Amino acid sequence: MIVGESGSGVPSVGVIMAKSLQSMGYYLATDREFPSLIKGGKHCQVINFDDEPLWATSAETDIIIAMDKKSMQYYLPRLRDGGVLVHGYERLWGIGDVLEECERRNITVVHLPARTIAYEEGGNELMTNMVMIGMAWRALSLPYAAVAAQVSKKFAKKPKILEIDLRVLERAYAATEKLIDVPQPCAEAVEAEKILVDGNHAIALGAVHAGCRAYFGYPMSPSTGILKHMASMSPRYGVVVKQAEDEITAVQQTLGAMYAGTRSMTATSGGGFDLMTETVSLAGITETPLVIAIAQRPGPGTGLPTWTAQGDLHLCAYSGHGEYARAVLAVSDSEDAFYVIQEAFNLAEELQIPVLVLTEKLIADSYWTVAPYVQGNIPIKRGLVTGDALGELVPSDRYKITESGLSKRWVPTRSEAYYFANGDEHWEDGTLTEEADQAGAMYAKRVRKEQLVIPSAPAPTVYGPAVADISFVGWGSTKCVMRDTIVAAEREGLTVNYLHYTLVYPFDGGAVADFAEGNPNVHLIEGNATGQLGQLAARAGHCDWAGKCLKSDGRPFYLEEMLEYVRAHVPHNPTS
Amino acid sequence: MKSTSLQNLAVHAEQYQKFETEQVMTWCGGCGNYGIQNALKRALTLEGLGAEDFIYCFDVGCSGNGSDKIHANTIHGLHGRVLPLASGVKVANHKLKVVAGAGDGATFSEGVGHLVHAVRNDYPVVFLHHDNQNYALTTGQASSLTPAGCKRSATPYGEAWGETINPLQMVLSLKPSWVGRSLSADTDHLTELLRAALRHEGFAFVEILQSCPTYNREMGNKWFLERVKDVSTIAGYDPTDIWAARRLAEMPYDEGIYTGVLYHNPQRENFLEVVPQREFGDSVLVDEVRHYDIGQEMAAMKP
Repeated sequence: MIVGESGSGVPSVGVIMAKSLQSMGYYLATDREFPSLIKGGKHCQVINFDDEPLWATSAETDIIIAMDKKSMQYYLPRLRDGGVLVHGYERLWGIGDVLEECERRNITVVHLPARTIAYEEGGNELMTNMVMIGMAWRALSLPYAAVAAQVSKKFAKKPKILEIDLRVLERAYAATEKLIDVPQPCAEAVEAEKILVDGNHAIALGAVHAGCRAYFGYPMSPSTGILKHMASMSPRYGVVVKQAEDEITAVQQTLGAMYAGTRSMTATSGGGFDLMTETVSLAGITETPLVIAIAQRPGPGTGLPTWTAQGDLHLCAYSGHGEYARAVLAVSDSEDAFYVIQEAFNLAEELQIPVLVLTEKLIADSYWTVAPYVQGNIPIKRGLVTGDALGELVPSDRYKITESGLSKRWVPTRSEAYYFANGDEHWEDGTLTEEADQAGAMYAKRVRKEQLVIPSAPAPTVYGPAVADISFVGWGSTKCVMRDTIVAAEREGLTVNYLHYTLVYPFDGGAVADFAEGNPNVHLIEGNATGQLGQLAARAGHCDWAGKCLKSDGRPFYLEEMLEYVRAHVPHNPTS
Repeated sequence: MKSTSLQNLAVHAEQYQKFETEQVMTWCGGCGNYGIQNALKRALTLEGLGAEDFIYCFDVGCSGNGSDKIHANTIHGLHGRVLPLASGVKVANHKLKVVAGAGDGATFSEGVGHLVHAVRNDYPVVFLHHDNQNYALTTGQASSLTPAGCKRSATPYGEAWGETINPLQMVLSLKPSWVGRSLSADTDHLTELLRAALRHEGFAFVEILQSCPTYNREMGNKWFLERVKDVSTIAGYDPTDIWAARRLAEMPYDEGIYTGVLYHNPQRENFLEVVPQREFGDSVLVDEVRHYDIGQEMAAMKP
C-alpha cells in the first residue's frame, strides 16, 4: 500500500512498482483510493500481487510505503500486525505515536532519511520517490534489476535525471539490507506475457478494435480515462475524438454518427448520464444504435466522485421516458471490459437499441495483469443491409412491423429508399402518425425487441463448483472479490460459488432459478444499498435470498470481509 | 442578391419534383415554413443535390413537423439538440451535405450552448434558424427573441423579462465563418441565400425571419417586406468585414433589415480541416467499421 498526500507522487511510485512486479511475472490486482482534489488529501495505491491469479484487493496490507506523516498515521490501522512500514520521514520525534504503535503491534519499521539521500546524490524533492521505492523493493526481497529496469524505461528520455534516480534507488536499496532481516532476493528471469491495463483503457481498446470511429465525451470522474485513452490512441487509428461542450452534446453527436452509419460511443458517470437520458429515449423510438459507457461512483448528486459504487443499475434500466427495448451490460475488470464493449456494439447495431455499459470506479482506474486480449474473436455484427440488397429496399422496410420487432436498417443515402428517422411516433417509413392502430403497433414492435436481447447477449456464468456451501449472485466488479473468495474459502474447507451477470437488464431470470435449484444457500452481493439486481430478480420471480451482502460507502468489497461473511453464513460452519 | 431564375429551375423540374411527398402539410395557412421548405428544395435542386447527397436534421417545433414532408433522408431529434446531432452526422459521413433546422426557442433558449459551440467548432452544417419569435407549436409562448412587451400566451401582460436577444449579434460575437439573413416570405431571395450556404464549407448560420400568422401577428410578411433590403444595395459592402456585419445586425428592425450574405470569413478552417487525428479525404467513417489491430497498444502494456 503506497500512501501519501495527493500530489506527493503516489501514482508514480505505484506505477513503477506495479510494472516492476508485472515484469517478474506476478499477477496484480490494484486499486487507487484518492479524494476529489488535486493537491493535499489522502491518496492510497493498493497493490495486491501473487504467483497465482488474483482479482481483488484487501482491506489489510502487509507493507505500507508512506510518503508523508499524515498518511502514515491515517493508514497505519490497515497495516497488519507484524507487517512492514516503510517511510522516509526525517523528523522522527514528530511520529513518536506511530513508532510506538509499530513496536506494540510488532511492525517492522524500515526507514531512511529520504530527503537527505535524494539531495546528497544531487537530486531534488521528487527523487525521494526513488528512496521509497528502493527501500520497499528490498524490504519485499525483490531483485534490484527488475525495478531498475522499469525506472530506466520511465526516464529513458531524460538521461541526466535517470542517472541520479538510479544512484538514489541503488543506495536506498543497498542501505535497506541492513535495516530488515528478509531473505536475499533471487533473480529469476521470467517471460512476462501478461499486460498491465486498467478498466477504462480496456474499454477504449475494445471500442477501437471493434471499429468505433468517433468518440465524443465530456470529462467526468471516473469515466474520464476513457476519453483520455481514446484521445491518445486516436491518431494511430484515425478515430475522431472530440471533447464536447456538455454530455447532451456528446451523446447527440454519438447518436448522429451512429444514425449516419458508423460506430461511435460516449462515456460518462451517473450525473452526466442523467443529462443523456432523453437521447437514450430518442434512440429507442428512432431505433438507432447507441452505446454509452457509464462509470459508476456513489451518488446522489456529486456524491463521492472518486470512489466506487454499483448504484446506477436501475438508472440505466429505467432511464429515458417511454418504453422500449434496451440492454444494460456490466463489465467486471479490465479483462472482460475489452470483450463486453465489443458485444455492446454488436447488440446495439443488430437490435437497433441503446446499449448501456456499466463500469465502476474500482474497474475504471484500477490496473490488473491480464492475458493479452484475443483479437478478432468477436465478429463485427452490424445488422445493416448492404450490397445488391440495398436496391430492393423500399422506405417502409425501415420500420416494418415484424414478428420479432426487428426491421431492416441501412445507411441513409446508400439506397434509393429514403426514410425518416423520426423522434415523433411514425409509421413504417418514418412518416408522422397519430393514428391509434399505427401508434400502438409501432410502440409494441419496439418493446417486443426486448425478447431478442437475452439470447443475443453474454449468458450468466457460474464461478466455482456447481454446488457449494454458500452461493452468491452479483454483477460488475463483485466478480473480482468472489473469484478470490472462492479460492481463499476453499483453503478453509468451505465451498463457495458465484453466479455472475454480464447482461443485467433485461434480467435473465432462468439463470438464477437454475442456480438456486442446485444451491440451497444463495446470497445477493451488490455495491449498493437496495439490492438493485436483487429487485430485478424478484421481478423475475426469484426473491428468496438467504442473505444480502450490500455495501454503499464508496469502498469496494475486500477479500477479508467476504471471507468473514462466508464464515458467518455457512450453516454449521466449524470455523465460525 | 439576384433572385432565383425560375427558368433555370424549370429545367430541373423533374429533380425538384422528386423531393415532393404525398404527406399532407400540417402548418397553418400562411406559415413561413412553406416558404423555407420550398426555398430549400429549390436551392438543393439548383445546386444539383439529390436525396442521396444530403441529410436533413430536424429539431422539435413547427419546423420539425416538416421532417416527413420532403423525399429525403431525415432525422427528427430532440428539442434544442439538432446542432450536435447534425455535427455527429457530418463527422460520420463528411461527403454528405448536412442541413439542420430549428426554431428560435430551440436555438436561443433550450440549446443555446450548442449554438455557441457549433459556431466555435465551425461544424460544416447549413443551419436554418426558423426565427418566428415565439414557441408556436406549444401555442405561442414568448421566446428570448420575442420583442419586449409583446403579449404571448404565458405572458399575457407582455413579455417583461430581460433584454431581447439579438441573434445575429450573438452569433457574430462568436466569430462565425458564415452568416446570412433572409425572409421566409421572399422565396426567391431565400433560395439564393441557401444556395450560397450550401456552397459554404463550414457552419452556415442562416437567419430566416419567419412569419407566424397565428401567434406573431405584430410582424407578418407585410411588416417584414416593408423593411428588408439586400446588402447588395449598400455600395461597397464588404461581407468579410465583421464590424460592418455587426453594425447591420445592431440596426433596429424599424430602420431596415439587411438581408443576404452579411458575413463570411474565407480564411476560417472548418472542424474537419482542423481535426488533428485524421484527414477527411476519400474515406468516410461510415465505411471504416472493421477490426483494428491493437497489437501495438498491448505491446506497450508489457513490461
